[in-house]
Amino acid sequence: MSEKHPGSPAEGGTPAVEVLALTKAYGKVEALRGVDLAVGRGEMFALLGPNGAGKTTLFSILATLRSPSSGTARVLGRDVVKERDPIRRETGIVFQEPAIEQRLSGRDNLMLMGLLYGLSLRGARRRAEEILAQLGISDIADRLARQLSGGQRRKLELARALVTDPQVLFLDEATLGLDVDARRVFWAQVRGLADAGRTVFFTTHYMEEAEVADRIALIDSGRIVALGTPRALKTQVGGGIVSLRTEDDTTARAWLREQGYEPSDGGDALTLVHADPAAILPDLLRRMPVRVVRAEVHAPGLEDVFIKLTGRGLETGGKP
Amino acid sequence: MIGGIFAIVVLDLKRFWVDRTRLIAGLVQPLLYLFVLGAGIGASSRMGGADYRRFIFPGTMGLSLLFSATFAAITIVFDRQIGFFKAVLVAPVPRPAIAIGKIVAGAIQAMAQGIILLPFAPLAGAPLAPLQVVEMLGAMAMASLTFSTIGVAFACRFTSTTVFPIVSNAVLLPMFFLSGGLYPLRLAPGWMQVAAHFDPVAYAIDLMRGAVLGTFYFPVALSLGALFLTMALLVWAAVRVFNRGEDDSGLGATNFNWRR
Repeated sequence: MSEKHPGSPAEGGTPAVEVLALTKAYGKVEALRGVDLAVGRGEMFALLGPNGAGKTTLFSILATLRSPSSGTARVLGRDVVKERDPIRRETGIVFQEPAIEQRLSGRDNLMLMGLLYGLSLRGARRRAEEILAQLGISDIADRLARQLSGGQRRKLELARALVTDPQVLFLDEATLGLDVDARRVFWAQVRGLADAGRTVFFTTHYMEEAEVADRIALIDSGRIVALGTPRALKTQVGGGIVSLRTEDDTTARAWLREQGYEPSDGGDALTLVHADPAAILPDLLRRMPVRVVRAEVHAPGLEDVFIKLTGRGLETGGKP
Repeated sequence: MIGGIFAIVVLDLKRFWVDRTRLIAGLVQPLLYLFVLGAGIGASSRMGGADYRRFIFPGTMGLSLLFSATFAAITIVFDRQIGFFKAVLVAPVPRPAIAIGKIVAGAIQAMAQGIILLPFAPLAGAPLAPLQVVEMLGAMAMASLTFSTIGVAFACRFTSTTVFPIVSNAVLLPMFFLSGGLYPLRLAPGWMQVAAHFDPVAYAIDLMRGAVLGTFYFPVALSLGALFLTMALLVWAAVRVFNRGEDDSGLGATNFNWRR
């Protein structure tokens, strides 16, 4: 979580990514319904939303794999439809699905990608060694990709995306299927790449992953519902969250409503948002007509932001 | 463009080399045709066993090239089921280079299979003089390129690895049976002779048979012209599929779609 705030689009220069009034429909299904956003150079930007929100569609358009239905999208100032090849030369992409050849070694995988990007055989081999060393995975150079662990494979995917030393790195749900530890290691590595000056644009539906980013766009049903730094987004919720566990939630909820609060049912606890939760808690506990078993005050997380804006949780796949 | 073709060819051959044992397994089918089917049918035909084996040697060569070239093309369908093809598509490689690279790589793989089968010619009663070997290799190269083009033009329209082999067999076997690979076209019923004129496999096998036996059914110029025309049309068709901007997504898609 970096406090710096590099390259807000207003700071001049062409943004790394610029999306204007972008829509995409598959037949009658509208995957994107007018998306606007700009990502500054060197910024680490997260697109966070539940499955089916339109993340992968937006990602594919930026990756030059799909055309928008209307609106424009530019990467490094170039149009994603009309200027595909220049964009392809300057971007590296990690897909959700594995995109390495399982039967080839780590080195061969990278070397072949280098060839596709116009390097000579010798140049491609040298570049493969360089990236493996840079990511600290030289030990997998001679191992077949199918023998690698999930985390190593994802690192090899990252290495593949870095073959041409791209200015912009796109990652689509890049840690799908990894355990928590492997995910942490992976994002630390990506954060390092961003700190070294690369622009990183990634999609995720894990909020803790999005917190690594400088700025986050929350996407839901094809629209951006909020955009800002993790801190700014959380202050949107205003104050903090009180969560209570009582012996009789129904009575407690009714009583809270009478008192003018708006409790929501956060799983097995009653939660309510308040500007100054610590100040109201003692009073609540004293006056509540039912016994409170457990009381907690916490700062809002991105999940709370998402619930506040859409009325739904992130992990529920966008369903109410 | 050339760099892109080169990259795709190296990529495919590198992967082919991992599976090189397939070359040995690939010998089984043509040898079965040559020495089992050939012996059986030959014994009961007017040609006699030895002559018949000699006659069908170019035909079994054609069969071997046809199936190895099409099998090579199936990598397109496999790659599309994982994300590998997407990684190729987002590289700054012109789409025609991807199609042509795939075709050249498939043809080289078919040639490799054919060259392993070639030494069996004397055993099949068709000893080849050095000049005949050169002619045969030339005809095999033409056949491999044509068959590989057919394979790629088909494969790039499929996303399912279970459907593609079924459909390709439904197309390839009739093409092979109509080609005159296993019987002399000039003795076949009239409708089959007419059909053979529309079958690129017939021209390819006739060229190879000419190299081995010295007699052709089609004029050589017609055969070469027909093969070049087939290649040109199918390369164009394949490039068109790879080229469609919007369909770049379809090409990399994992969704099930029986045709495209």
